[in-house]
Amino acid sequence: MPGADKEADLTERIEAFLADLKRGGCGTGPIRGSGETARETTALLRKVTAQARWSSAGDLMEIIRKEGRRMTAAQPSETTVGNMVLRVLKIIREEYARSRGSSEETDQQESLHKLLTSGGLSDENFRQHYVHLKANVIEAINELLTELEGTTDNIAMQALEHIHSNEVIMTVGRSRTVEAFLKDAARKRKFHVIVAECAPFCQGHEMATNLSKASIETTVIADAAIFAVMSRVNKVIIGTQTVLANGGLRAVNGTHTVALAARHHSTPLIVCAPMFKLSPQFPNEEDTFHKFVSPHEVLPFTEGEILSKVNVHCPVFDYVPPELITLFISNIGGNAPSYIYRLMSELYHPEDHDL
Amino acid sequence: MSSRGGKQKKGNVTSEQEEEEQPLQAVLVADSFNRRFFPISKDQPRALLPLGNVAMIDYTLEFLTSTGVQETFVFCCWMSNKIKDHLLKSKWCRPTSPNVVHIITSDLYRSLGDVLRDVDAKNLVRNDFILVYGDVVSNIDVSQALQEHRHRRKVDKNISVMTMVFKESSPGHKSRCEEDDVIVAMDSKSKRFSMGTDEFEIRHDLLDCHISICSPQVAELFTDNFDYQTRNDFVRGILVNEEILGNQIHLYVTQDGYGARVSNLQMYDSVSSDMVRRWVYPLTPEANFTDQQGQGCTHSRHNVYRGAEVSLGHGSQMEENVLIGRDTSIGANCHISNSVIGNNCTIGDNVVLDRAHMWNNVHISSNVEIHQSVVCDGAVVKEAVRLNKQCVLAYNVVIGPNLSLPEGTVVSMHHPEEEEEDDDDEFLSDDQEVGHSKDKTRQKAFNPAEVGPEGKGYIWKASMNDTEDEELAQCLWGLVLNPDPESDSESEASEESQDRTFQLEVLGTLQRGLEENIVCDNLVLEINSLKYAYNITLKEVMQILTRVVLEYPFQQQGTQLTTLQYTGSLLPLLKTWSPVFKNYIKRAQDHLDCLSAVEELFLEQDTHQTAMVKVLMKMYQLEILEEEAILKWFSTGATNDKSRQLRKNQGLQKFIQWLKEAEDESSEEGE
Repeated sequence: MPGADKEADLTERIEAFLADLKRGGCGTGPIRGSGETARETTALLRKVTAQARWSSAGDLMEIIRKEGRRMTAAQPSETTVGNMVLRVLKIIREEYARSRGSSEETDQQESLHKLLTSGGLSDENFRQHYVHLKANVIEAINELLTELEGTTDNIAMQALEHIHSNEVIMTVGRSRTVEAFLKDAARKRKFHVIVAECAPFCQGHEMATNLSKASIETTVIADAAIFAVMSRVNKVIIGTQTVLANGGLRAVNGTHTVALAARHHSTPLIVCAPMFKLSPQFPNEEDTFHKFVSPHEVLPFTEGEILSKVNVHCPVFDYVPPELITLFISNIGGNAPSYIYRLMSELYHPEDHDL
Repeated sequence: MSSRGGKQKKGNVTSEQEEEEQPLQAVLVADSFNRRFFPISKDQPRALLPLGNVAMIDYTLEFLTSTGVQETFVFCCWMSNKIKDHLLKSKWCRPTSPNVVHIITSDLYRSLGDVLRDVDAKNLVRNDFILVYGDVVSNIDVSQALQEHRHRRKVDKNISVMTMVFKESSPGHKSRCEEDDVIVAMDSKSKRFSMGTDEFEIRHDLLDCHISICSPQVAELFTDNFDYQTRNDFVRGILVNEEILGNQIHLYVTQDGYGARVSNLQMYDSVSSDMVRRWVYPLTPEANFTDQQGQGCTHSRHNVYRGAEVSLGHGSQMEENVLIGRDTSIGANCHISNSVIGNNCTIGDNVVLDRAHMWNNVHISSNVEIHQSVVCDGAVVKEAVRLNKQCVLAYNVVIGPNLSLPEGTVVSMHHPEEEEEDDDDEFLSDDQEVGHSKDKTRQKAFNPAEVGPEGKGYIWKASMNDTEDEELAQCLWGLVLNPDPESDSESEASEESQDRTFQLEVLGTLQRGLEENIVCDNLVLEINSLKYAYNITLKEVMQILTRVVLEYPFQQQGTQLTTLQYTGSLLPLLKTWSPVFKNYIKRAQDHLDCLSAVEELFLEQDTHQTAMVKVLMKMYQLEILEEEAILKWFSTGATNDKSRQLRKNQGLQKFIQWLKEAEDESSEEGE
């Protein structure tokens, strides 16, 4: 029976993706960029939409939620996965509302006034069946995918507005977005990039090699030299792993150091972050916020005796509070950290925040 | 479908196709074939013992799956039903599993050798496969090693049969198993295990991960050599016969990743703590890689992991490196560090746990102190009990109250003697039978002095049944080796004695040859086989042979021979055995070695020095020795006073003189 076949194929795909996520990121951060993860997640969710058995939007959302929960649980630090699930859920809501013929307005963000007047929660149950819903949802997801394709380019296009000739730019570690951003600026302008190496994984080395290949003047510094060098820097441009709901960052270790040094010298700190990194998560001491990997890079396993006497930790992420950030550059333009909450409400439906 | 997504999939498909041509297979041996974990493994096979609240075999399977293994054969023997049940319930047997697990059980496996012979008999493997035990914990990416292995096999026409994975870790590392301490000699360039090549490294900083990549030949070789029991036998066999069979073993040394085998409780302790300290990332407790409901836990500062529904009393501290399973409740004012606590445990107030490993459903009353001990499923520790280091409480034991167990105590519900009774059919008996015999022997009373007034269980003594082979096997915690200098000399001595026995064997062979008139070719054959049996080099063979022949008259007729009698009986012997000599003495170096052996002998038998000339003369005439070699020996060989003295012997001088003249003549003739 072809239907069963398809379903088996689908579960297999999902399992493979989950296993990939679980094993992904052995230390040096994810093997693929988060952009790729976002695209893969979305493509997978499209497949779910197309192949799973559902009759109404409610069913579909339930299925997507279920898969989404498993995907986020597989690698809690990879927030893009969860973000994409939320985006797809929002798409389904919108398409359902459109099929019902209700205007966009009614399903919009609940304002205080509306909460007051509506009286009680919306009794929407998404149970109605529409013939074209499936096609519409898939179409919308395709649009989302196209948007994801272009994010890096969109961000890089804005480079010339921010980087001027003969500036000294500092960055930390390796970010694909920042790399594209700097390379784009280098087509027209000459500037100097200082890369903090970001021990113990030293992704900064790779970044520096890539930049110098694009004939950008590049210097690698040790993390300890960040503060010392900061006085010469005109602008700090960094990437991030996640943008949190309060406008803070969860970024690679060492970013907080850079941000504090930049604040001390009043150097502007610009964060290149595509919209799909925006997560409804708030910073907390919660366990999923941190990610500890094998301490191998800090103190190699070959060390011998000393290892039995010490505890070695190797955290991957830093939290950077929103006060330290000057500007976010996303694929839809520049925003201040205080505006993040607004973007958040545009991207995700408030009822979906907890999967 | 967007173009990018499509590309992605296509990439996957092609790589899958390549692999599909030869899906990577693995052989997982879920039996240890020893009794290191007795009495714990009496109730539960070793592969199912929990490490960080997950059965060990799951780590191994996850390791195999993540390296891209698509088909795994799990071989079980001891308590195979339990392993089978476990696997059938696990995610490995779900239809979506990328790694297809076949379970093969037989009660007849007694060693790794049996398993591999069965692999060969059933023709299970078609290509290179990974061989691991069910108690290996690793996150090493062996695909690199696999590639090297395949490359070598392609280049060298299947000479390399096995690649063993080693991990660098310097001596003194706590995850180095003292018993597995290896010193590896390897060819630095080709990464080959070597014996007697010209250039090699000797390394002592390697940890054997017990992961090997084998070619299908390995299974065949095990079949051919039915005496191979373990991998060590195999390695030894291959290395010894390297010259004959031409098989080689290579090694792959990795610096990153983690790999260790839980071979005793010491290793259990250190692997468990390494796992909690995240060395095996991404195989960490909170990852819940077994994908089991309710197994998930959270990870917070100082490597404290908590499962669902854990309750912690007022004032209790979880210091660092603590893993607590779900539904466990801990009382007030407890102090826990470096410990793993299983599911459904209850722990009273004022309990101190340090390096404790508690499995599921354990009950600990108040005021208990546990240091570096293992407490198995269902055990009960009553009030005010103190477990000192390296104690083991096996399944369902009850201890206390008010007792302090001395260091290294092992308590089990099985009586140690019952153990001996059904010793023979240990591996054959199924669980049922063990259960019966247990009931029969249950009558024996527990000793309240040993296990406390309310205690249940029997003390196992470490030296209980050190039947013949190692008491090692009984030693749960593994041994701490004191590097004693004597052991070196011992091994030397044993080598010496090996030479000695070889010499006697050669003598016997020659004697028999003489008595039964055996053709010299056959003698050579026999000596050759002896050479391999005793692992003697060619040089030594020749020296010993020379010695044996020259001493032969003394052996036969006593040492009181006059020189004349000696030469009289020796010279005909030399004539008979000259083909044997000629077989071994070929290169110039051989001649010199032979001469030095002759010299050595006559230095010992200084009363017969005059006979030496005759011997040399005869050997020269029989064309065993060449004149050039003799001359060279004469001119350069003198190293000490005695040998110089020897060379002043008149007869010898004359002989040399004669040789020289002969040479001159011959060269003149030549001109």
